[in-house]
Amino acid sequence: MDTVAGATTTARTAAILAVPPRRFVRLPDLRDNQVKYLLVLPAMLVVAATAIWPLAYSLLLSFRSWRLARSPVPGPFIGGTNYEQAFTTSEFWLSVGNSALFVLLSVAATTALALGLALLLVRGGLLRRSVQSLLILPFAMSPALVGISWRFLFNPEFGLFAAMFGTLIPPLAGINWLSTPALAFSALLMADVWAWTPFMTLILIGGLASLPQDTIEAAQIDGSPAWRILFGIIIPQLRPVLVVVIILKTIFALKQFDVIFMLTQGGPGHATQTLVYYAYLNGFKYYDMGYAAAVSWLMVVPMLGLTFLYIKFVFRRAA
Amino acid sequence: MKRKGGWGRVQDGLVVLAAIVVLLPIVWIALAAFKTSVDVFELKLFFTPTLQNFATIFEPPYLIHQKLLNSAIVSICVVLISIPLATCAAYSFSRFRMRGERAMLVTILATQFVPAVVIVLPFFLMFRSLGMLDTRPALILVDTAIVMPFAVWMIKGFVDGIPLETEEAALVDGSTRLQVLRRVVLPMAAPGIITAAIFAFIISWNEFLFALILTRRDAVTLPVGLQLFNGQEGMQWHLLSAAGLLIMAPMIVLALLVQKHFVQGMTMGAVR
Repeated sequence: MDTVAGATTTARTAAILAVPPRRFVRLPDLRDNQVKYLLVLPAMLVVAATAIWPLAYSLLLSFRSWRLARSPVPGPFIGGTNYEQAFTTSEFWLSVGNSALFVLLSVAATTALALGLALLLVRGGLLRRSVQSLLILPFAMSPALVGISWRFLFNPEFGLFAAMFGTLIPPLAGINWLSTPALAFSALLMADVWAWTPFMTLILIGGLASLPQDTIEAAQIDGSPAWRILFGIIIPQLRPVLVVVIILKTIFALKQFDVIFMLTQGGPGHATQTLVYYAYLNGFKYYDMGYAAAVSWLMVVPMLGLTFLYIKFVFRRAA
Repeated sequence: MKRKGGWGRVQDGLVVLAAIVVLLPIVWIALAAFKTSVDVFELKLFFTPTLQNFATIFEPPYLIHQKLLNSAIVSICVVLISIPLATCAAYSFSRFRMRGERAMLVTILATQFVPAVVIVLPFFLMFRSLGMLDTRPALILVDTAIVMPFAVWMIKGFVDGIPLETEEAALVDGSTRLQVLRRVVLPMAAPGIITAAIFAFIISWNEFLFALILTRRDAVTLPVGLQLFNGQEGMQWHLLSAAGLLIMAPMIVLALLVQKHFVQGMTMGAVR
């Protein structure tokens, strides 16, 4: 350590930081053995109280009948009736369809745009680095504020975006986006993609910057066309990071509520009503607690699957 | 070569376009905050700015300072509860092997991915029977839930990066583990802990669904308070924009402070 020249210290520190931490396995101290659990306990209690308990309670509730408007106490257990009701209600399937479409389109658009933008920005330089630092801004904006801002931007009379689209695509001039089902869905999608693409771009810039440059440079010298370098070299090497981006975006798209509530309220009709919004309506508008819990749990199951996938990748990368 | 130069210029153009797309909604809202109730209903880029909106939102019926106070108190309390607990847990996760360690870390991570609607339903029922709906403590408790996983994973990432030597030296000198945690680890991990605290603050400041369902009048926070501007004469866009600017301006400053650690924080360590 003493021989390290000043100039390389930074690199050394970086190398040390990159190595996973050693652990105090060689200090089998009795006190440590108690301290370590004591330190974790409060945090685990909070997690248990604020996540595991509500999940368990919801599961239990999903097998009961409880209309809050009629009774202040939970009703009897009714087996799988709530789930049966969901599976036989067309509005439920409509919401499932909307959620699926929303997730599919928002994940595809966000990933493609973020990859493109990351490729544009990764080269560095003053312009690109300043633009990169702007990418944090949508995160600072409350999703509720994003939703309501986009309602302003798509106002048919004085909305900036409505006017811009009307000028670029004449058939859309003067149209009320939020009262036209397909356009309301598009506006919602745009708001979501606007809010999330910058974040995904930042992840991908990190991924791109850590790719080994030699194969890419060799291919460039060989005169390979850019698209072949992208699909043959860059994307395959970037796969682990792309998988993280896609899983995270899928989860966040499934969870999206704030923007929907503020922008379209699930409308017009049921055009933008996703599964989360359907669960919200049943719980807090119709006060059908048992049914809302059942719908929620039908959402938790695929979510747990995705989380499991995500964790597999996190730990594989850490190992 | 000539074609490459042209392509380079196209790329620069696309970069600028991306910047405009990111900024446009934010700038448009910021501008509208300074427009009069007449100007805001027209597509005007140039107008005579007014500060009147910022005065109006503090008057009845909006009383935005009450929502501001609620937001500030809730966010500060969430930080004060979650960060110390998360720091202790993160240190332990980073330095020791424990029975069920992996299961615990995975559980903490997984709770982040559960839809908020599922979490809020039991809490709504519980606070309702306890008479705690529309109170700040209720909101603080539930907001802590969404902040905790970020905080634990982020701080763990920072503690992982601290070399062990100083800690070992202090332990050999006879310090207890908790003394080491306080005197050695805390100062060294301080930048990371502060970053996590800023993250926690931003997340609970912007939180919407819990506040929407658990508050009604007294404990309403800023994002939920935005609905106030949807009055009988329709949406008061100039006032809404002023309140919107009030919500986002401090968060933009905070976000710029932590942007270096943004990706690591949001992916909970999956991407460094």
